[in-house]
Amino acid sequence: MKIQLFLFVAVCTVLGAHAQSPVNSSTFGVMDARSMGPGTMSGRITSIQGVQTDDKILYVGTAGGGVWKSTNAGASYKPVFDKYCQSIGAVAVDQKKPNVVYVGTGESNMRNSVSIGVGMYKSTDAGDNWKAIGLDSTEHISKIVIHPENSDVIYVAVPGPLWSDSKHRGLYKSTDGGEHWEKILYKDEKTGCADILINPKNPNILYASMWQFRRQPYSFNSGGTGSGLYKSTDGGKTWIELKEGLPEKPFGRIAMALAPSEPTKMLAIVESNNTGLYISDDGGEHWKNQSATMNTVARPFYFATIEIDPKDPKRVYRPAFEFAYSDDGGYSFSSASGEGGWVHSDMHALWINPNNTNILYVGTDGGIYTSIDRGVTWRFSHNLPVGQFYHVSYDMQDPYHVYGGLQDNGSWMAPSAAPGGIGNGSWLRVGGGDGFWTQPDIDGKTVYAEYQGGNMQRTVIATGKSEDIQPQKTLKEEKLRWNWNTPIVLGSKNPKNLYVGAQYLYKSTDQGRNWKRISPDLTTNDKNKQKQEDSGGLSADNTSAENHCTIFTVAESPLDENLIWVGTDDGNIQYSLNGGTSWVNVSNTIALSGAAKGAWVSSIDPSHFDKNTVYATLENHMYGDHACYLIKSTDMGKSWKLISSKEFKSFAHKICEDPSNPKLLFLGTEMGIYSTLDGGENWFLLKNGIPEYALVRDIKIHPRTHDLILGTHGRGIYILDDIRAIRNLTADIWNQDVYLFPTPDITLNNGRFGWGGSEISGGWYCGNPASIQSIDYYLKDRLSSGKADVEIYDANGKLLQSIPGGKRKGINKVYWNMRGTPPRVAAGSTKFDGAGFTAPMVLPGTYTVKLKVKDKVYEGKINCVHDKMNKDLTESDRKLVYDKSMQLQELYNQVNNTIDTITWYQNKIKADSLSKNKANKEFQKELEKIRSEMMATKQKSIFADEERIREKVSKLYGSFCGMEAKPNTIQIEAIQSVEQEYQQQAELLKKVMEKFLPKVSL
Amino acid sequence: MKKLFLAFFLLGTSIFSQAQSLEEIVKKHIDAIGGETNWRKVKSMKMDAVTKANGADIKVSRVVVDKKAMRMDLDVFGMKGWAIITDKEGWQFMPFQGQTKYEAMTADDVKSSQDQLQIIDEFITYKDMGKKLELVGKDDMDGVECHKVKLTDKEGVETSYWIDPSNYFIIKSVTKTTANGKEVEATLTYSNYKKHDTGIVMAYSMGGDMGDIEIQNIEINGTIDEKLFKPSEQ
Repeated sequence: MKIQLFLFVAVCTVLGAHAQSPVNSSTFGVMDARSMGPGTMSGRITSIQGVQTDDKILYVGTAGGGVWKSTNAGASYKPVFDKYCQSIGAVAVDQKKPNVVYVGTGESNMRNSVSIGVGMYKSTDAGDNWKAIGLDSTEHISKIVIHPENSDVIYVAVPGPLWSDSKHRGLYKSTDGGEHWEKILYKDEKTGCADILINPKNPNILYASMWQFRRQPYSFNSGGTGSGLYKSTDGGKTWIELKEGLPEKPFGRIAMALAPSEPTKMLAIVESNNTGLYISDDGGEHWKNQSATMNTVARPFYFATIEIDPKDPKRVYRPAFEFAYSDDGGYSFSSASGEGGWVHSDMHALWINPNNTNILYVGTDGGIYTSIDRGVTWRFSHNLPVGQFYHVSYDMQDPYHVYGGLQDNGSWMAPSAAPGGIGNGSWLRVGGGDGFWTQPDIDGKTVYAEYQGGNMQRTVIATGKSEDIQPQKTLKEEKLRWNWNTPIVLGSKNPKNLYVGAQYLYKSTDQGRNWKRISPDLTTNDKNKQKQEDSGGLSADNTSAENHCTIFTVAESPLDENLIWVGTDDGNIQYSLNGGTSWVNVSNTIALSGAAKGAWVSSIDPSHFDKNTVYATLENHMYGDHACYLIKSTDMGKSWKLISSKEFKSFAHKICEDPSNPKLLFLGTEMGIYSTLDGGENWFLLKNGIPEYALVRDIKIHPRTHDLILGTHGRGIYILDDIRAIRNLTADIWNQDVYLFPTPDITLNNGRFGWGGSEISGGWYCGNPASIQSIDYYLKDRLSSGKADVEIYDANGKLLQSIPGGKRKGINKVYWNMRGTPPRVAAGSTKFDGAGFTAPMVLPGTYTVKLKVKDKVYEGKINCVHDKMNKDLTESDRKLVYDKSMQLQELYNQVNNTIDTITWYQNKIKADSLSKNKANKEFQKELEKIRSEMMATKQKSIFADEERIREKVSKLYGSFCGMEAKPNTIQIEAIQSVEQEYQQQAELLKKVMEKFLPKVSL
Repeated sequence: MKKLFLAFFLLGTSIFSQAQSLEEIVKKHIDAIGGETNWRKVKSMKMDAVTKANGADIKVSRVVVDKKAMRMDLDVFGMKGWAIITDKEGWQFMPFQGQTKYEAMTADDVKSSQDQLQIIDEFITYKDMGKKLELVGKDDMDGVECHKVKLTDKEGVETSYWIDPSNYFIIKSVTKTTANGKEVEATLTYSNYKKHDTGIVMAYSMGGDMGDIEIQNIEINGTIDEKLFKPSEQ
């Protein structure tokens, strides 16, 4: 295979200088989604680990975007964990064998929106391949420590499940590189291990912090009798609890650090009734309370990182709400300078380059920052698209924009296509705080965005000015209960209707200037679930994240604006047939389907085809139930059917019915997006460039472009362009070996955008959708032997182009450039001629496409239409451009034929005859004179441009072939001018021939 | 003691099945591409190929004498370029890249290109070449649940191959090298497998990010002029 590889690479270098149901994950074939980013606002980073022997290599674990690797100190990153769980708790590199990397899945920054993991993974080839190595029921892993002298010994701190009791918590040890695990420290089913330290100078000494914690959908508790700080001096066989000098129990979460250069020096932030930083100089035997500044003690459940410089025991770093550093071993702290710009708050990971401890990488809720001055100033990495969207939406502009809200990173919009593609600069911020629903108004000028707890604004996009529009309670009403992720929804039938939900549903028809309450309390209104002010445990934490008994989803039927569906976070599904005048609760029948009672109604999708049909997803993970609940009713909720599949791996966020094909559904889950083409009988994981465990929170289908738009909670927004091929894939097609889809009309133009400039270095970049309508075909199986060629013929049956087609199983796409075959280029020039790549664009009309697969031919028609949007080019102008292009192509052919003739005679004249035969010598000289007028023969460098007749024709030809405006007189005259130049030389050649041919000896 | 025997048996089984599985895959692949005997007979190979660019053809030809020399010629719209590598030296002339005369390749380039002189399929010769082959496992590649194997040469260059279990043809390869301290990946897809008169089976179509290349003709053990491997201005 090396032979072919070399062949291929060499060619590319040159070009670069210029039975079930057979439907499954392969069916979408080559249709790869575009990763929109953004990189301008990244997402939560949970772990950063570098390689000591090559400190340009970094591994970055993220909250919902998997693991990314850089081999150039962060100049660029690539994802290396896209086939596995995207929620990462910990990453560790074996510094003795740096190709060995461990990943613990399941983030342990235990906020309400944290995802879950599926255990430990190991790579032995620096992240190229991974193997699951157990602890698959742990759900959350906070830290992995490798014995500094024995690579086989690994410790893994497992806080364990957030929402339920579990025996799988505790501190685990492996002595065989992860093949087997032993639980070496365990308290009870409510208490896990939050942190583990190893003394690098005496690796038998270990420290572990145990943490009792629990979330419920409506409260959080950090702290309990299970929490404590422990030490082992025998590699984890026995443990003693450290108490001397520490505050009175109960404890909550404990973050700790020891100085690698002087491991008896330790620090611990102990959450308690007297939360503070505690210092020990004797390996944890005695502690002294030192600091209780806000940054040190803030949100211990969330900010659990403290680090000491590997070389300097007095240099301490506390990345938390903000970045703080100490030069006196933790007795006092300073904050990072604001010079260099704002640094995102909320920090969870820090890697100090041990080879140069001035260099730090900090992971925040908004991405990675690098410092080269020990944390005083920071630079942001704009190239990690790991933002956590909750919802996405679109507008109807052309190109349309996408909108969405990011966890801790506000609300944003960006065009789905732009000149040069979508870069970080394409994104515009339209809301602050934690972003959730972000909805564009149909006026094209206004956007509605919210931040946590139902705070919402109407914003003018052009100016960024905004007005608060949150409905307020009236005197007689209860306090309004707004979900952390409050729905703001435009009507599907009537987009002038704007809905928001607290426990009541509100509607506005004037852009939120006035609201009308259109429902009673639609929740269970369970008072036991409304004590959020008591939430947090030892540290009060009430940020609206635990607000409960609220409306979570609202959906207006696309068939009837008076049919409104509402789902709540406490299990209710209710609908109104009369625009909110009265409501019917249909949640009592949900449990009969087998779905969980009382689960969050994460989405509702009323059918586009039948008012009685509705889909809903329920998710119950906050009660420790990870099952995927997708339910469907065809009788207005009187009864529900649970739609299941063995493919589903985790709980469901979003169901989306295709607006054209009722059997095409998409399901977004916490671990992947799924699709069905038969109404839910058979499901398959949608891969197509999307991480297989992507946390897909929202799905939309653009009604004009037919694009599938995904909002992921960890990998930003993905767009799968134009899904019509999938939409049209029915059983009678997918059972055929080969099927050529009807090709939609092809608009004749050079694409929507021009060049747009080079992509700016250092940022995330997303290409545009294909500028040419593809010719799509389906292969039931991969074609290993034989070819698949697509041929295009004009109305006279003339072959215009033959294009090698893909042979992949599923959908294949071929792009015809709407042109014929470029002209032949005669040899002998010293200058590369681009005309060989160029042919005139065809005229409007019907063309024939023949798909040749092995020995069979599948035929279809392509209708090429004039681009009516282009006001600079009428149909008659197009004809003129075409005629002139063809005239130039003919001229180009003549020039090349003449050059070939000259070359033929020159080659016929033998070199040794030149000195003997004067006529031969003269003839050769005259021929070369004409040849050197016909084309560039002397150019030695691209900086010494030589232009002769062929170059002039080529330039004009290229210009006319690419022309999308009426040619002007000068351009047309230029053709005549170069024709005359050619004719003069052709005449001259004729005379030279007449003169010399009788005399020369060939 | 019983448990010890059982564990030993299982351990042995596990190692055996893993090793056999890799060997089985390699054997089936070699059978699929025409068998070792046929491949071992191949001493030289001439290949003509074409790739498309905007509907135009670009011609490529390649000549290899096993373990001795390789020459590749490109004809791009009348402009010709070439590269020659022998077991000791190398030269190239690529006017498309602005070269006005041929230039010698560096010793490092010649050394790292020696693989290009190997005609015989790597899965047959990897042991002779001191390369390491390992079975990574099953992996979905372009919709096919493939056997993924990784070949590592003595210099540490890794190539991963995805082998279609239905016919044991390679679907895709990714070669990872380091250039100037930077990781570089070269990806190729393979299809249109055809049997040559000599009995060997090769992929006549290859694809990458830049498009497809189609092999039109392969000549095995034909006459080859040694002058081809000497640099000249033409």
